[in-house]
Amino acid sequence: MSNVEYPREILESLEDYNIDIRDFLPGHGKGAKLLLDFNKIRGMEDVDGVILKGREIENGIIADVIIKEGTKIEEPVHLCFGVNKETGIQEIFPRIIAEDNTDATVQAHCSFPKANGLIHKMFGHFYIGKNCNFTYSETHYHGENSGALVAPVGYVYVGENSVFENTFYLTRGTPGKVKIMIDIYAMKNSVIKSNIKAFGKCKNDSVRIRDSVFLEGENARSVIKMKAVAKDGGEVLMFGITEGNAPRCNGHVECSEIVLGKGSICRARPFIRAIDPTSSVSHEASLGRFPQKWLDELQAKGLTEEEATQILIEAMLQEER
Amino acid sequence: MLLEVKNLTIPTLDQKCVILNKVSFEVKEGSIHAIIGPNGSGKSTLAYTIMGLDNYKPSEGKIYFDGIDITPMKITERANLGITLAWQEPARIDGLSIPRYISLGIKDKANMKEEIIGALKIVNLEPERFMNRIIDEFLSGGERKRVELAAAVAMKPRLIILDEPDSGLDMIVIEDFMNIFNKIKELDMTILLITHREDIGMVADYGTLLWRGDALITDEFPKVMLRYCAKAGLKEFCKRTLFKNGGFCVDEDYIDRIFREEGQS
Repeated sequence: MSNVEYPREILESLEDYNIDIRDFLPGHGKGAKLLLDFNKIRGMEDVDGVILKGREIENGIIADVIIKEGTKIEEPVHLCFGVNKETGIQEIFPRIIAEDNTDATVQAHCSFPKANGLIHKMFGHFYIGKNCNFTYSETHYHGENSGALVAPVGYVYVGENSVFENTFYLTRGTPGKVKIMIDIYAMKNSVIKSNIKAFGKCKNDSVRIRDSVFLEGENARSVIKMKAVAKDGGEVLMFGITEGNAPRCNGHVECSEIVLGKGSICRARPFIRAIDPTSSVSHEASLGRFPQKWLDELQAKGLTEEEATQILIEAMLQEER
Repeated sequence: MLLEVKNLTIPTLDQKCVILNKVSFEVKEGSIHAIIGPNGSGKSTLAYTIMGLDNYKPSEGKIYFDGIDITPMKITERANLGITLAWQEPARIDGLSIPRYISLGIKDKANMKEEIIGALKIVNLEPERFMNRIIDEFLSGGERKRVELAAAVAMKPRLIILDEPDSGLDMIVIEDFMNIFNKIKELDMTILLITHREDIGMVADYGTLLWRGDALITDEFPKVMLRYCAKAGLKEFCKRTLFKNGGFCVDEDYIDRIFREEGQS
């Protein structure tokens, strides 16, 4: 399956994120992979310890990714959900299961470079077993026309003593209308790290992200970090929820958003709740402009205020490595 | 003269009193010129005013850089003329890589990598360790200061203002920083060194003493330091630490005279 035909526009569209998804094509690299071109599966390759199954349905696919018990994979499992059309509906129903004692990373790339009236929906279920170390990273590019409607929903169960790291980046191009909901249920001694970054670049961009962590097990811990920039009329709402529902659990929500240009709106709603007297949940939120001192520091290096602001946006929305 | 500050007065934001009161001094090209004085004497205000920060506008006085009146110029214009400032507590702009940060002021884009490596070496940061690092919470305060200094040096400015580069550093590191200042001087950059520590000022050729907003004296650094000690009534400290055992060479009679002039026995 080394000569998979996959639209060049989709392959190239994530280069601004420093991702060359050609590296993930079947026949390249060592990881398991599944490539979807609109509603057609163009490539699928599994590896020892990883089961990948996909079935086309009317507007998309149902896909299963199963990391078998005890499997530790160094190369990430790669899922590419691309659409190289202006319009249409793509629906994804993934079920991702990491069995006990596994160590794995799943990287999903959702790229719609020509989107102009395109709808992408995802309804995902994640089951992370006991003693796992699992990372899920999702990177989006929706083209430059603010022409996508993207609505992913994810439910995540994280078992005892497991670490679940979630990253979501929507920082290049124009997002269009985006509504994301993630609910994470953390069991005993589990650790949740969720890192969300988004950029609403113009007046037709509206990004609403709700990231919820329910600390259901004793000693479960979580940190949600949400960072966003709204520019030139763009709108961003970050809704970070943490509930401490078990003894000695500990959670923190952090939202920081920058508003630039007329008509832009940033909203942050950190919501925390604790129902166990030994639990501890905290939040912090900041909205507004970059601190003047940061701008001064960069301007003292010869940058104009606009250039300095651009550098600060670049830094704030930089993907973690 | 590279820098001339004439009758500079900076009022507080409410205009009710002044932070700097008709301050005048000159800085020779190629020298290390220390601005010393106790906390609250207006040293950092002077640094920010020379750099051109928005909230530091003089109510009177002028600043000339290489003969050009820069008083009305904005911070970016001053930077592009060849002035920069390494901050006392540089911001931690999370997410930028160290090479990216250092590259911001480099004009020679063709040799960017070499320039960055060169700047890292000047501040004694090993390029192999720092070329792939991000500015984040894992960078120590001392490392962050060195990165800031590297970014300033990489600009190849004619005047580099160092605002309390010694703050928060231990003695061993301070010794290293003093060597770095001499390296920067050898690169034909003039240093305006803001400090309230006499030991770090030892590298300076000249100095100006700021005292409660007034510039009391501009002279060779030992004489300025001596005047500072006399104002503060620190005679024994002065003799013990500054002018003995390989320190500055000033005889005791001279010290006594300066202290008498300041009304100190």
